Amino acid sequence: MQRVGHRLERVFNPRTVAVIGSKAANNHMWLRNVLTFQGKVYSVQIDEGESPGIAALGVENYSSLLDIPGPVDYVIVAVPRAVTPKVVKDCIAKGVGGVTLFTSGFAETGTEEGMRLQEEVRQLAQEWGLNLIGPNCMGIFNPSIGLRHNQEQYCGPGGCVGFISQSGTHAAFFSLMGARHGVKVSKSVSYGNAVVLDSPDYVEYLAQDEETRIIAMYIEGAKEGRRLFECLKAVTPRKPVVIWKGGQTEAGARAAASHTASLAQPYRLWQAMVRQAGAIPVESLEETIDVVRALLYIKHGTGRRVGLMAHTGGPSVVITDDFARADLEVPALTQESYDKLASFFNVIGGSYRNPLDMGSTLGMDANLDGLLRVLGQLLDIMGEDANVDVVTMELAVPFMARRWQREPETMARILDTMAYYRDRSPKPFMAVVRPLHMEEMAQQAEAGLVEREIAVFPSFQRAAVALRKMVDYYSFHRQD
Amino acid sequence: MQKVKQSLSHAGPMTEVEAKDLLRRVGFNVVETRLARSSKEAAAMGRELGFPVALKVVSLQVVHKSNVGGVRLNLAGAHETAQAYEEILAAVKARLPEAEVQGMAVQRMAPPGVEVVMGGFRDASFGPVLMFGLGGLWVEVLQDVAFRLVPLEARDARDMVREIRGYPLLEGYRGQPGVDIPFMEEMILLLSRFMEDNPEVREVDLNPVIAYPEQALVVDARVVMR
Repeated sequence: MQRVGHRLERVFNPRTVAVIGSKAANNHMWLRNVLTFQGKVYSVQIDEGESPGIAALGVENYSSLLDIPGPVDYVIVAVPRAVTPKVVKDCIAKGVGGVTLFTSGFAETGTEEGMRLQEEVRQLAQEWGLNLIGPNCMGIFNPSIGLRHNQEQYCGPGGCVGFISQSGTHAAFFSLMGARHGVKVSKSVSYGNAVVLDSPDYVEYLAQDEETRIIAMYIEGAKEGRRLFECLKAVTPRKPVVIWKGGQTEAGARAAASHTASLAQPYRLWQAMVRQAGAIPVESLEETIDVVRALLYIKHGTGRRVGLMAHTGGPSVVITDDFARADLEVPALTQESYDKLASFFNVIGGSYRNPLDMGSTLGMDANLDGLLRVLGQLLDIMGEDANVDVVTMELAVPFMARRWQREPETMARILDTMAYYRDRSPKPFMAVVRPLHMEEMAQQAEAGLVEREIAVFPSFQRAAVALRKMVDYYSFHRQD
Repeated sequence: MQKVKQSLSHAGPMTEVEAKDLLRRVGFNVVETRLARSSKEAAAMGRELGFPVALKVVSLQVVHKSNVGGVRLNLAGAHETAQAYEEILAAVKARLPEAEVQGMAVQRMAPPGVEVVMGGFRDASFGPVLMFGLGGLWVEVLQDVAFRLVPLEARDARDMVREIRGYPLLEGYRGQPGVDIPFMEEMILLLSRFMEDNPEVREVDLNPVIAYPEQALVVDARVVMR
C-alpha cells in the first residue's frame, strides 16, 4: 500500500481521468460530467459505434485502459456488470490511483449473480490494494480541479466541507443545495456498496485533508462499526463530523439493503455511537446543511441562553417554544437592559421582555436612518446583555416589503447593519428569514445574508435545532 | 481484573449463584447468595444470612424463573423458607419435568431502593456494548435505556446515566433521597472493563441492581459465556 500522504490522495486529486464505457444512450453523461476537469480526460470504449460521439466531445478514445500513454490517476467505470472484473483487472495492471464503479447490479440486487460478481471484484481489489470506490455509486467531486459527478455541480474555488455519502443523489443535492446556502464542498465522494473502501477510509482521508474543516456524511451502514467509531472519535476533537443515518426504521433498513446492500444495525446503537464519538447526529439533508452553516457562520460557543428579536407578538410566543423545545434557554434580560429599553421602546403593540417584539419600535414606515439607528441600539443591548449568550434576529420580509419596493437600498442597508453588529459583538449571532408568502423576496434577503456570511435559517425551529447541535458539539469537546 | 476463563470452562449461561460469585470476585457489590440443596439447608442458610430471605430455583434449563413458579420473596422464617423450597421444587417439576434442579439460591431480601439495570453484550458490527437503564417497567415498557460502546471513559458513564429519561428519579424527587450516582458510574466502568478483559463473556445482565443513597447492590445477575 502506498503511503505518500494518504492512500486516497491521488484519487481525490487526480491529474488524469479515464472514463470507461461512455455511451450515447445516456448522452455520454460521464464524459460530460468531467469535461470541466482541468487535467487530461481519456475515454475507453471498445464499441466503435460510440467513437464519433466521443470524438465530438474532444476526448481521445482508446480500446483498452492499458493503451493510454502515461499514468492514469482516476478511472470511472460505466460498463455492464459482467464486464467489471475484466475492467478491474485492467485497472490493477495499469496501476491507477483509484476507480469508481458507477456500474450497479451487485449485492444490492440480492441476486446470486450480483453477489458473485461483487465478491469477485472485492477479492481482486483487496488482493492488489486497488482503491475501489463503490460499486453502485457516483464517485468523487472535487470542484477546485473541475472533477464532477453531476453536470449541475460548480467548478472553481470550493469550500471547506467534505461530504461522504453512500448515495449519489444526496452527494449531488448536498453540493447543489449547500452552495445556495453558503455551504461549499472541498471534496465529496459517493461510495455506494462500499465493498472495499468504506466510510472510515474516507473519514480518515478528509480528516487529514487541509482543505476540509468540517466533515458531513450520509451513511446507510458500515461493515466495521467499531472501526468507524474509533476513527470518528479520533477526528471529532479536531474537525466536526455531522452524521445523517439512513435506514433508521425497520422499513428504512430494508430500503437501505436494496439500495447499497447495507446490513441493518440497531439504530439505538448508532445513536449511542455517534454521541459517544462526539459527532453530530442529524435527520435530513436540510438539517445537515443547517448544522454545517451553524458551524461555519456562527461564532463558536457553548452558551445556551438565547436573546430573541422578533417583530410581533404571535411569533414571539411560538419562537420561545421552538428554542425551549430544542433545550435552549430564553432568559429574562438584565435590569440594565430593561432600563435602556424603557427609554425608547414602544411598548404599545410591542414588548421588551425576551423576545423583543421590535416591529412597532423600529417603525417600519419611518425614515430609514432612524430605523437603522434603532435596530443598532437593540442589537447592541442584546449583544451586551449579560444574560444572553446568543442573539437571534428575525428579518420579517412582509413587514419590510413595502419599503424595499419603494427604496431598494433598504435591504442592503439593513443587512449591512446586521453584519456590522455581528462583527461588533463577540456573541454568536444568527438570522431567521421565513419565506412565508414572499418566497422570492425572502430568497433575496437570504442571499444577501449568505453573502455577508451571516448564518440564516428559514424557520426559528430549524435555527434552534442547528444552534443546539452546534452548542452540544462544542460543549462535548470543551477542554475543562 | 481476574479472568473469567479460570473460573468456568463451559459455554452457555452460568447459574445465578456462579454468575454472582464471579461478579463479586471481580469487584461488584453483590448480595450474598448461597446454593441450598435441600429445604433444611435453605432454612439454615436463611438463619445465617438473616430473614427475610428470597428463594430462587437454580437450574440451567430454567430461563425465566418467575414464569415457572421458581421465585419466592420475603420469606420471614426458617419454617416458611423450608416450605417454600418444597413448593418451588414441586412447581418447577410440574411445569418443566425435564429441568435438572441443582437447588435453590438463598439470599437476604435487599432493602427497597431504586431499581436499575446494567448489561453488556457483543454486537456483530460495533463489538462490546454496555446498556444502562431504570429497572422494571421503565426498561420493559418504556425502553428507557442508554447504550455506549466498550471501553467507556468516565465521561461516557456520566453521560449514559444522565441520558435516560428517568434520571430525575435517580437524583431524588418529592423529598425522596437520590441514589449514589458516582457509585453507579463506577459500576458501569467496572462492567466495561469486565467486558473488555473477558472476550469469552457473551452477555452479562445485572438485573436488578438496587441503588441506595449510598452504594448499590446487585440482586440478580446472569452471565452467558461464548
